[in-house]
Amino acid sequence: MFVESARPSVPKGTSRERDREALALLAERTRPVAASQTRLLPVLAPLAGLFPDGGLRRGSTIVVSGATPGGSAGDGAVSLTLSLLAATSTAGSWGAVVGLPGLGAMAAQDLGVELARLAVVPQPGVAWAEVTAALIDGLDAVVLCPPFAPRPTMARRLVARVRERRSVLIVVPGRAGWPEHPDVHLRVSDMRWDGIGSGEGYLCRRRVTVTATGRRSAVRSRHHHLWLPSATGEVTEAHDGSVVGLTVGAAVTRLARRP
Amino acid sequence: MNRLFVVRCPDLLVEDEDGDALRSFVKVVEAVEAYCPWVTTVRPGVCSLPARGPARYFGGEDVLGQLLIEATSDITTVEVGVADGLFAALLAARTGGVVVPPSGTPQFLAPFPVDVLGHVELAELLNRLGIRTVGNFAALPESHVLGRFGADGIACHMVATGRSGELRELRQPTASLRIDHQRNSKGRHPGGPTPVEPEFWGGVSDTDARAVRSLATVQTLIGPDGVVMARLQGGRGPAQRARFVTWNAKEGDADSGLGAPWPGQIPPPAPAVVHPAPLPADLIDSGGAPLSVTGRGLLTAIPHRLSVEKSPWSEVTAWAGPWPSDERWWSRSRRRSARMQAVTSADTHLLLVEQGRWWVEATYG
Repeated sequence: MFVESARPSVPKGTSRERDREALALLAERTRPVAASQTRLLPVLAPLAGLFPDGGLRRGSTIVVSGATPGGSAGDGAVSLTLSLLAATSTAGSWGAVVGLPGLGAMAAQDLGVELARLAVVPQPGVAWAEVTAALIDGLDAVVLCPPFAPRPTMARRLVARVRERRSVLIVVPGRAGWPEHPDVHLRVSDMRWDGIGSGEGYLCRRRVTVTATGRRSAVRSRHHHLWLPSATGEVTEAHDGSVVGLTVGAAVTRLARRP
Repeated sequence: MNRLFVVRCPDLLVEDEDGDALRSFVKVVEAVEAYCPWVTTVRPGVCSLPARGPARYFGGEDVLGQLLIEATSDITTVEVGVADGLFAALLAARTGGVVVPPSGTPQFLAPFPVDVLGHVELAELLNRLGIRTVGNFAALPESHVLGRFGADGIACHMVATGRSGELRELRQPTASLRIDHQRNSKGRHPGGPTPVEPEFWGGVSDTDARAVRSLATVQTLIGPDGVVMARLQGGRGPAQRARFVTWNAKEGDADSGLGAPWPGQIPPPAPAVVHPAPLPADLIDSGGAPLSVTGRGLLTAIPHRLSVEKSPWSEVTAWAGPWPSDERWWSRSRRRSARMQAVTSADTHLLLVEQGRWWVEATYG
């Protein structure tokens, strides 16, 4: 019956092409209507406000960049990325980190990541795109730190694959960069450590500001103040003076759209 | 690349309907396990085991090969091959039990026709180009192979040149799951309570099965050691507190000293980036003179600027420590070092100083 109803919209072409199109349409129609929970991968409560849906939307791409413009090891992007994986991994999803040779396992666990469901591919080499594509096929959340600057076509293909396989790709561009516009872009800024002075104390907790921008429903940019990590190594909200506001650019867009 | 024994049962490669072949193969796996507990099922009728340790224990690789053949002789006929990497070991078993010498894999593979790589299209194309043996294929430069034959070509090329031992189609993870399941359900714990299903290999959820397939694919792309899992353990520095083990390698969980006290351990939070090898660094005071730590664990001056791997200097805005750590003071491999946390205008690092030289051990990423 699906094929019957599908027929009018099937474009003309060779018979094989038509069959394929009809099949794709059929697959789309018979896909179970997903509940909101299965459309979203959960995130920890302090991070929920960064995303328009309150979680990682399946099929979306997220870019996490740090406080240092060109990317550096200590720019906060790795901590934020690991904390994004925490809730999904405890909920039973598998995650992978590609191209980060120095993953701090202790920090990952403290941030809430279930290490038994985190595969690490530290050195994917020239085959990094193939490796990432293979992981997207079977894992719910894949973190990619591209070892080389990705070509736009390659990035676009990975983004399309993520959308098709309904997984989530988190890109930490670092020095290599990422040529595609993500669905959500998280930027870490204003990092400040507590507890350390001139030769006294020790690193206790770090206050960061995370700004989320994005397209579609995520155009409203949000600033969040987090302890990343807190004194116990987790991520928690930093309450004092937490602002949810609009950046000028986004506000102008919103005004312009108003009828 | 791991040196592997492959045990191949030519009569049990195809599963029959009543499951006799599968049951016989389970018996073979159990017989082989008497020699080494780390037996991995590759696909129905084929299993592998690491060569190095067991071969040394039983007096050589050919001796162990004979023992394996004898141990399984009343179940079925088996072929045993040993080589670096699964692909070559499998081929060695198939060609009648060859012992390929260590790092002799490329020479062993060279005379075989390219068809053994198992990619029909690639083999056809290579044959048309006049490249008929694996050796000829291995002689092609890697960049050309990548440009012309894509990811599959690279995977085959890595096998041909002896840099990887695995190809995508060699392992059938689902078959291994089924065989392991059969073994678990046979009740290896008679009389006792029903065994708890192992989280990973036993009760297999759809999510886990999909992840297994993906990770196996990645292993065939970049080699089995390319995919690792993190395990935590006790230790002082961040590098000692985690180790990475190959995914799917059967290894006991050793939570060695995780809860034990480690005097001199750096207080939490843990750094998010732990450099695989410490990065050389320079730390100077305001006069430009390099800093060091005295025998009593004190800095010789106030740190002013830091440079990591000869990068531009960045200013040290805050620091804590140094905390001396005197490891293995009872032995000759005694290590005296000190750790220090340093916040610079760019990054926040965990520094290590040893014999007057500074290293960045980890970065609070």
